[in-house]
Amino acid sequence: MKKALITGYRGQDGAYLSKFLLEKGYEVYGADRAGDSGQWRLRELGIEGRVKETALDLLEASNISNALEQIQPDEIYNFAAQSFVLVSFAQPVLTAEINAVGVARLLEAVRRTCPKTRFFQASTAELFGSTGSAQKNETTDFHPRSPYAVSKLYAHWLTVNYRQAQGMYACNGILFNHESPLRGEEFITRKITIAVARIKKGLQETVAVGNLDALRDWGYAKEYVEAMWLMLQQPSADDYILATGEVHPVRDFITKAFAAAGIRLEWQGKGLDEKGVDAATGKVRVEISKEFYRPADVKELVGDASKAKRVLGWEPKIKFNDLAALMMDAELKRLENKKVDL
Amino acid sequence: MKTALITGITGQDGSYLTELLLNKGYEVHGIRRRAASFNMARISHLVGHKRLKLHYGDLTDSTNLTRLIAEIKPDEIYNLGAQSHVAVSFDEPEYTADCDGLGTMRLLEAVRLLGLTRKTRIYQASTSELYGKVREIPQSETTPFHPRSPYGVAKMYAFWITVNYRESYDMFACNGILFNHESPLRGDEFVTRKITRAMGRIALGDQKCLYMGNMNSLRDWGHARDYVRAMWLILQQKKADDFVIATGKQYSVRKFIEVAAAEVGITIAWKGKGTAETGVVKAVKALPGVEHQVKPGDVIVRVDPKFYRPAEVETLLGNPAKSKRVLGWKPEVTFEGLVKEMAASDLKLAQSEHMLRKSGYSGVKSC
Repeated sequence: MKKALITGYRGQDGAYLSKFLLEKGYEVYGADRAGDSGQWRLRELGIEGRVKETALDLLEASNISNALEQIQPDEIYNFAAQSFVLVSFAQPVLTAEINAVGVARLLEAVRRTCPKTRFFQASTAELFGSTGSAQKNETTDFHPRSPYAVSKLYAHWLTVNYRQAQGMYACNGILFNHESPLRGEEFITRKITIAVARIKKGLQETVAVGNLDALRDWGYAKEYVEAMWLMLQQPSADDYILATGEVHPVRDFITKAFAAAGIRLEWQGKGLDEKGVDAATGKVRVEISKEFYRPADVKELVGDASKAKRVLGWEPKIKFNDLAALMMDAELKRLENKKVDL
Repeated sequence: MKTALITGITGQDGSYLTELLLNKGYEVHGIRRRAASFNMARISHLVGHKRLKLHYGDLTDSTNLTRLIAEIKPDEIYNLGAQSHVAVSFDEPEYTADCDGLGTMRLLEAVRLLGLTRKTRIYQASTSELYGKVREIPQSETTPFHPRSPYGVAKMYAFWITVNYRESYDMFACNGILFNHESPLRGDEFVTRKITRAMGRIALGDQKCLYMGNMNSLRDWGHARDYVRAMWLILQQKKADDFVIATGKQYSVRKFIEVAAAEVGITIAWKGKGTAETGVVKAVKALPGVEHQVKPGDVIVRVDPKFYRPAEVETLLGNPAKSKRVLGWKPEVTFEGLVKEMAASDLKLAQSEHMLRKSGYSGVKSC
């Protein structure tokens, strides 16, 4: 039986991957922060208690080595991160300690204790930052635009370096935005679907958001974790873009989410004064707040996943049009205490 | 009077930059690490200058950096402090990241949090090692990076966080992407200094052989004194930007050895290939005051694979067109001039070591 270790296993991707690997018969070890944050995800997926909780923190080198020595995993998936871009401007040092130096600790521990272990690093489309509007592929140059992105850039290249210099099987998955009903509540897609469900039920009046014009490539997290697993099953290690190839503004996601709840939204005004208004009642439902703007924003991110299709045989099925509806459906079910289909 | 703060003031570049800034009338503050071994040799001739002030500090200590910047309120910060040795970074990746990568951010963040973003200009010592496995030749400010060592990756973090603070907070924060720059003050563990130190000792018979890694590596070598002038110029512009600082000329490590050997009177011939390659004395030219202890046929250079890097950077060649155009900067010392200055300086050092040893002082450092 294969053994996998997932850091950040109670996050969105960690939870989906835990379930995926358990179904494949893996023994799954998971590390996450102390406490039970994110436990709800495992509960909703019906795998609570099935992942072996492992004491491992990316800030502490010695416990990483201890954990690896005991588990001797076949595969490691490193999802643990301070993963919120806006917070990274306020906490750049902590972000770097976890996202950058944490990966140095982890890779070095793998090299010393289990160099044959296959390693997956969760890289991100944020690495591309302001490199223009063309589709990004594995050879596109990077231009990170936040302390989060710079920390992830470090992790990306250190992973490449351990592959090239130390001969380790280490891969980067450069993931474009991937969402799901298990997405963290502070991320825009989830923040919107929660708000729309509450507005629909009369529990909330409006929701405040940041830059509506940000263009993103949104996929479904449940499908993306399969590609991560595929990356570690190849004859040789490499880096892959995971994306849908479609790009839409945040505004359109919001419109779709409201539509999925039966509310037709109209947009009025410009810039900070732009508002999303319920076309039927005239009530303002979406407002802009400067606090959600990044000091340096990323205008457009769209990926070209043709290498993942060619080499891994992976292709996303759920795209933008289905994603908002799928997330809204889950959100409304949650409010009605019904079982969520995940 | 302008005030500058230099991290890494005890290093090669710190020494030359301190001289430059003191000559320009700056008050210079330097951060040095407390260490059990004495590390002030490169600036000992400047210590005691009334406009030079030294402080204990460390790039891994946010509180310390913030306090020093709050007290000094510098007009310019030059971040030269780093774990700067590529090979060591493979053994100490975490410390290298903490010091070279996060250390840079701690400085930037301190300036931002102290409200000094309009006053304090920041120079970040970036490096040609960012290009690593080069994507084009020569390398300019627009060439994509491909770092090949934990050192290169940590320095890339520092490069981009500097760009990010410029773009996010409109800070005057600049990267100088410096290609190799050497001098008689270069640390002994760097290849150029290792070569010139060895040639002096070999000429006098105090070392048998020089053991090398990859001698095919091609580098763009300039003189540190020229390069610190570029650092200063970068911070005197109207607009913050990043600049490649290089000579635009490239030589192999092997060529460096040949020129260094010639300076101590030795002509080298190369025999064999790969790890079996040797450098053999072909001829010895008499030099005043030097009693050569080598003769034709002696093997004085060999390859030891332990000096190979796990991932090698084969070639680095900079395109300094932008710094010439915008900064009006160009290097004054040629490759030959650089190697000769270093070899001559290290021959003198070897002579004084030799004299001490002959007089029975056994405590002299040798390798």
